[in-house]
Amino acid sequence: MIVPPTRRTVARLALVLLGLALLATGALALVAGVAPKHWPGILAWFAGAIVVHDALIAPAVFLVTLLLRRVGARLPAAVVAIVQGALVIGGIVSLVVVPEIIKRSIGTLSSSILPLDYGVNLAVFLGVLAAVTAIVAVGYARLFASRQKVRPSADQH
Amino acid sequence: MHRLLHGIRQALQSPSRTTRTAVVLGRLLGAAFLLCFATGLYSHFLQNPLPWMTFPTRPTWLYQLTQGVHITAGLVCLPLILGKLYAVYPELFRTPPITGLRSLLERASIALLVAASLVEIAIGLLNTYQWYRLFPFPFRQTHFALSFVIIGSLAIHIAVKLDLIALHWRRPAAGVEAAAPAPAAAVGAVTPAAAGAATRAPARRGDAGRGVTGRVFAWIDRTPAPRSPRVSRRGFLTTIGVASATLVALTAGQSFRPLDALTVFAPRKPGVGPGGLPVNRTAAAARVTETARAGDWALTVMAGGSSRALSLADLRSLPQHTVSLPIACVEGWSQLAEWQGVRVKDLLALVGSPASVRVRVRSLEQGSLYAMSELEPEFVRDDLTLIALRLNGHVLDLDHGYPARLIAPARPGVLQTKWLSTVEVIG
Repeated sequence: MIVPPTRRTVARLALVLLGLALLATGALALVAGVAPKHWPGILAWFAGAIVVHDALIAPAVFLVTLLLRRVGARLPAAVVAIVQGALVIGGIVSLVVVPEIIKRSIGTLSSSILPLDYGVNLAVFLGVLAAVTAIVAVGYARLFASRQKVRPSADQH
Repeated sequence: MHRLLHGIRQALQSPSRTTRTAVVLGRLLGAAFLLCFATGLYSHFLQNPLPWMTFPTRPTWLYQLTQGVHITAGLVCLPLILGKLYAVYPELFRTPPITGLRSLLERASIALLVAASLVEIAIGLLNTYQWYRLFPFPFRQTHFALSFVIIGSLAIHIAVKLDLIALHWRRPAAGVEAAAPAPAAAVGAVTPAAAGAATRAPARRGDAGRGVTGRVFAWIDRTPAPRSPRVSRRGFLTTIGVASATLVALTAGQSFRPLDALTVFAPRKPGVGPGGLPVNRTAAAARVTETARAGDWALTVMAGGSSRALSLADLRSLPQHTVSLPIACVEGWSQLAEWQGVRVKDLLALVGSPASVRVRVRSLEQGSLYAMSELEPEFVRDDLTLIALRLNGHVLDLDHGYPARLIAPARPGVLQTKWLSTVEVIG
């Protein structure tokens, strides 16, 4: 990826032009396909998406990270990372599945749309995730402890 | 205000929030976006072809593949974009927010890119189980327009970040790693190397301990920093990878049969529905339960001036063909089935029409997007394109389009019109 500055400048210009052309196409498609009365709704969703991420999800993740770091101050870094990872995975899967649970309880126009019991499936998934995480984390912590005994001076950084 | 933003940004520093992780995730997200864009355009033009367009009819599972990829890649975009946003989140609090035209362009394109992407992914997911009431705008047209907005603002974003992307494209060599600038290195924030210290120095900011924000920052300062930047970075990327793989494994069985046994979160399940095949639009929803069962139902075939009405008995007396074709929905699910019925080109021959023509079929359903579809000549003359009367050995279920429906290879399910009433040559 070592590109002389001139070539990179050309690439940058081409990308900006391409981007502007695509944005114009998107705007035209919006004007042609979506009635103006629906535009405020799209803008509201844009603003809502930013607010939900930047003001809710991201600070929540930050807070959980801090709490985990405090609670896990004496644990091996990898154990904290494993627990953190499991929380994120559980959170992302829930983000996808919880709307399905709600929509299923509202009802669908066809019985083959949302045919599964997503609530039970999510509970089972989270249970399995918790169990696997616990086993891996405890296993790692024990391994870490035994290694510490063998090599008391081992640097775990 | 400046101090507050600065403090927030510093507090948010983490070894996993580096330009390198942003580049790694950005590449994957960009690839997923392009995959969705390409497969989405293919699906769009199948439904709204430009006059000069022709489409491949083989392999018969082509649309099953492209749309399965569209939905699956779209789902993977969710963990990828959340990871990408996590990596660059401190940048939100950069001060001063705008420094010139370039930074204005950069921030505006990012705001547009992030908002459009999050909305696009959210409405795409909601569409897979038809939860349209949740958003006050039409799905398809908005999803289409936003796809251009996303790829357009992505191109501008890449242009703005080109130097950084090139700098961090490859993994830094050992030793250099610690010196790689974090997104906020310029504000003198904690570098990954410094973050490796067991704890951060307390009261490193002048305002620590004063006011609510001061106390919050002091509390954050007392929190031990991650002790191993490498574990933190690797753990972060692994987490996003495992989250993506989990979502794919537990949902993609609706499009890719080998994963069927793992399908616990997909909005459709192969094998669930009348006759063992999912139904998107029921006869009741289409309001055709009476007209489709009427004793005097007939399929009218029209070409030029001549027309012919064929009763169900007439259709059954014509040569019957059996084909194995998937029903593949725009919503991503698909399933192979065995269809039996009359070739469309045989019907056209009855009214003296050649096979290489454009055909429009209409449903008994009134006033709906699903009520009509058009077949390009390549589909009309195809041996596999049938007016199907039977499915998997049984008479079509009412919800599958009884008495007669269209089935053609490599086309979206929404165009496989059900409860047919007319077949008309249009050119």
